[in-house]
Amino acid sequence: MDLAVTIITYREIFQYEAEKKKGRSSEDYKKLSASVALDKGDMANAGIKAGQNVSMSNDVGQIVVAARLSEEDEPHPGIAFMITSPWSNQLVREDVCKISVPGYKRVSAKASPSTETATDISDLFKRITA
Amino acid sequence: MVKAVCTGCSLLCEDIDLTLKAGGVGEANNLCRKGFGHFSALFNERTIPRVDNQEASLDQAISEAAKILKNAKKPLLYGWSSSSQEAQKVGVDLARKLGAVIDDTTSFCQDVLMDLVLKGKIPTCTLDDVRNFADVMIFWGSDPTNSHPRHLSRFSYYPRGEKRQKGYEEERDSIAVDVRKSSTAKLCKYYFKVAPGGDADFINSVISVLDGKIPRVGDKKKMIELGTVLRKAEFGVIFPGLGLVSALQDQMGLLETLLAKLNSIKPYKVIPTSEHFNTRGFNQLLMSETGFINRVSFKGGVSSNPDLGIEGASRSCDAALIIGSDPLSELPFGVARRLAKMPLIAIDPRRSLTTDAARVVIPSAMYGLESGGSAIRTDGVKVSFSPAYPAEKPNDEEILKRIMEAV
Repeated sequence: MDLAVTIITYREIFQYEAEKKKGRSSEDYKKLSASVALDKGDMANAGIKAGQNVSMSNDVGQIVVAARLSEEDEPHPGIAFMITSPWSNQLVREDVCKISVPGYKRVSAKASPSTETATDISDLFKRITA
Repeated sequence: MVKAVCTGCSLLCEDIDLTLKAGGVGEANNLCRKGFGHFSALFNERTIPRVDNQEASLDQAISEAAKILKNAKKPLLYGWSSSSQEAQKVGVDLARKLGAVIDDTTSFCQDVLMDLVLKGKIPTCTLDDVRNFADVMIFWGSDPTNSHPRHLSRFSYYPRGEKRQKGYEEERDSIAVDVRKSSTAKLCKYYFKVAPGGDADFINSVISVLDGKIPRVGDKKKMIELGTVLRKAEFGVIFPGLGLVSALQDQMGLLETLLAKLNSIKPYKVIPTSEHFNTRGFNQLLMSETGFINRVSFKGGVSSNPDLGIEGASRSCDAALIIGSDPLSELPFGVARRLAKMPLIAIDPRRSLTTDAARVVIPSAMYGLESGGSAIRTDGVKVSFSPAYPAEKPNDEEILKRIMEAV
């Protein structure tokens, strides 16, 4: 079952550190970037388990990332969180909102369980430079 | 140990002592996790001069960069937030000489807020004022614990200050307004969760409470308590982030209205939370040179419009010089893809998706560690720095001067 979510992206210090110490191609950076935090109830309804890969897609692009359980105190059905990265940017619309800030904070997408491996940054680079 | 100024974020911490060891930072005092990562970057993924994916000499790379810029009908010069004031000045001069478009990273981030601050439309103050006098801090759509890790400890919450000798325990209140319970929100005394895009409604509710009316959104009891905290403040400061800016979109006037309301009761200021170490410096410099903080074209005189930002420029420009920025990683897929199709010149100390896609790569020294200069802190204070470990690589200013001579 597809799960409709609004993704909110945010900055995170451990991901920044991983990029600076080991580079964008490192596994540490990928582990934190190719990941989406979902609401517990949403995961149960969509049959998604923590650690399982999910396909995230919309009319802009598609990525495969690992699902993780949100650490928010309160339920937040329909809301997902991703650390800002080249992975999340595959789903961000290029048309900008009224003051020209792209919709980093409200990305509409569908999530569904996937058996594929998480998208690699080399694949993202190929898509950007294709 | 060597003294250093950290260029890891726009707080420009000046109290860093560190040593380097083979392959990384050795001992360090006062360096936060972000700063440690930033300086550790000196030891990996460094760029080398390249032209068309082939290793080249610095001279060849600079010559090829000049050729691309000269042959372009509408070149874009983009980045600038991680360059010194001196390099930014040369960059603006280069844009003027080329009749180019020049834009910085705030055009897809917080430029609308910086514009209000720099034009004096909303009141601001320094972070030193915050440390010494502020007693109510509002982190609104911002998470400095992750983006500016020493914000709370150096300035906004934990330290003792001239009139705040009892610090956060007794004399400072902290409030987080955010769509998620961020690391900063977890540290704050009050957390108000807003729905995505719900910040405008929240502002209206705060204004209602301050007017003695019933708030339309939020827990009424908590909102009334918030009103009491805001009214009792002696000196309040709002630290907005991209969360607030992107939620308000074209309703930034609401923030001005809220500030006018708050200031009719007690002094309230705003300090942006710019991400890169010299974001504000570029905006201030370009405003002093052109009257605009970004999105400027020097073709046939000075002009500015929204389409001259990186998003629009990626459609209309035919070559780009990218300095100290990685738009292919940071921007939405469509914009990144269009940029990747044009001849790119990347000036950067480190490898990135942008340098990987660039026709010309010019390695530069890392500011703070390898090169000196000056920058403007996120609150407008100028900070000068010397290189902690001078490198033989040229810095952005030197590279841009050489390109300027060659075009």
